[in-house]
Amino acid sequence: MRVGIIGVGMTAFRPSTPEYSWKELMFEAASRAYADAGVDPRTEVDSFVTCAEDYYEGFGIFDEFTPDQLGGALRPVCTVTGDGLQGLANAFMQIQTGLIDIAVVEAHSKASDILTLEGIIEHGLDPIWNKPLGGHPFLIAGLEADAFVRKTRTSVKAFAAVVAKNRTNALRNPLAAYAAKVDAEQVLSSAERFAPLRALDIAAPADGGVVLVLASEAAARRRHANPVWIRGIGWASDSPTLETRDWTQAAYAQLAAEMAYRLAKVRRPATEIDFAEVDDRFSYKELQHLEAVGLAKKGEAGRTVLKGGYDPGGALPVNVAGGSLGCGNVFEATGLHRAAEVALQLRGDAGSHQIDGVRVGVAQSWRYIPSATGAVAVLGVGQ
Amino acid sequence: MTFLERTTDARRFRQWEGNVEADYIYTSGVAGERFFVALRDDGKMLASRCTACGLDYLPPRLFCEDCFLELTEFVDVPPEGRVAAVTMAHLDRRGTPLSRPQVWALVTFEGIRGGLVHRLLVPPAKARVGLAVRAKLKARGDRVGAITDIEGFEPVRS
Ligand SMILES: [Zn+2]
Repeated sequence: MRVGIIGVGMTAFRPSTPEYSWKELMFEAASRAYADAGVDPRTEVDSFVTCAEDYYEGFGIFDEFTPDQLGGALRPVCTVTGDGLQGLANAFMQIQTGLIDIAVVEAHSKASDILTLEGIIEHGLDPIWNKPLGGHPFLIAGLEADAFVRKTRTSVKAFAAVVAKNRTNALRNPLAAYAAKVDAEQVLSSAERFAPLRALDIAAPADGGVVLVLASEAAARRRHANPVWIRGIGWASDSPTLETRDWTQAAYAQLAAEMAYRLAKVRRPATEIDFAEVDDRFSYKELQHLEAVGLAKKGEAGRTVLKGGYDPGGALPVNVAGGSLGCGNVFEATGLHRAAEVALQLRGDAGSHQIDGVRVGVAQSWRYIPSATGAVAVLGVGQ
Repeated sequence: MTFLERTTDARRFRQWEGNVEADYIYTSGVAGERFFVALRDDGKMLASRCTACGLDYLPPRLFCEDCFLELTEFVDVPPEGRVAAVTMAHLDRRGTPLSRPQVWALVTFEGIRGGLVHRLLVPPAKARVGLAVRAKLKARGDRVGAITDIEGFEPVRS
């Protein structure tokens, strides 16, 4: 049974949102998605999936707080403690059971409510082996970027090229929080943070909400919808132990992609995929992830970005909407935002950042520092 | 279409400042206990051995992530390790700029699966991958059986 995305709703991504509570952010994104899909959540949606982590929210048992602002009261509701793409996989499977015709996936960030963001991220470190040392959690990204540079002989100029591309791409995305005309020189002269990473290599936090409406093929047909099909989806985790995981490549993304490609019957991703939206919350992650999901050979992503191969007009446009560097880090909503952007591109609804003639796109997610978990979705239109 | 009217006067917004009280003790567990007692009492590091896979794990754990066997054997970690990856942190754990950057490293040991992420006790200019290092321990009387009993890793030859 095919499953398609029939509605996309997003709020703007903003550095702070003082006028809205997080529930209202969800309500706005959901209202936009239901308007887009032409669906009444109170009578036509069979299941609601939210994606969140209690520590980012600031209170416990997050799933209990979700139904009202999604239109899901007195209905099947569940929360995936993970990135939005993991929630998309769950909704996809629920529809595959035949029990559910229409499902909704939600993820959001209200990072501006968090007064001690470093402390919250630090809570993800092992409390016996890592956290007592008292280092900033981003030093893990610094170490991994160093390992990536050495293993793949990638130049830090390639990191700067990723930042310049994505921040500049965001200028054509009216929802982006951090759109700016940034060039590589500015990145390379920005303040040192966690060598080889500099201040501009690190995506800044943002608030925002994303909601997708999914339907079975039969339900989509009954509604005369024009779905973006979820051709394949996969997820995987590397070892959570910092010391024993693979520091030179994103093994989680490679395994997730293999699973998604198997389902989507994609055999040569580099030639069959038209464009990609991948996690770039640290600049090197975009390159590492492209290599992991088979869209670049090992060690070649850095050289390709320097030649403009991932520009909107390049052979493989990557993060045309601006990525997290341009839109802001929306934490567990990051992957769902990527899927929403891929869906809009495939519908031809990406506005001034629309790429011409795309039929198949990939969205990839990572669960951020210090995780080694990721998901991949292959989306497409037509048969 | 969401709200008919949105407030534009930021002075009118209300908020409630709260915090989550969350204090814990984190138990080291069987394998951690072996490691931290040996570190405190004998000044040495232990890895746990999977005899089926021929892997020695650092940090030691009670289970093999490859074959899922319960691990009961412990072996000494070689005193000398190597820097496998290095970074200079310019912010402290709360995000405040540091006057002098901290050097951090992933240190690995020959024949050992894993290693330790820890401070590298060299000036930033001397920090490099491949450097031979050993753990610098606190004095015997100051050790409590925690990862902080290791002050960091220092070059074998300085
Ligand atoms: Zn084993």
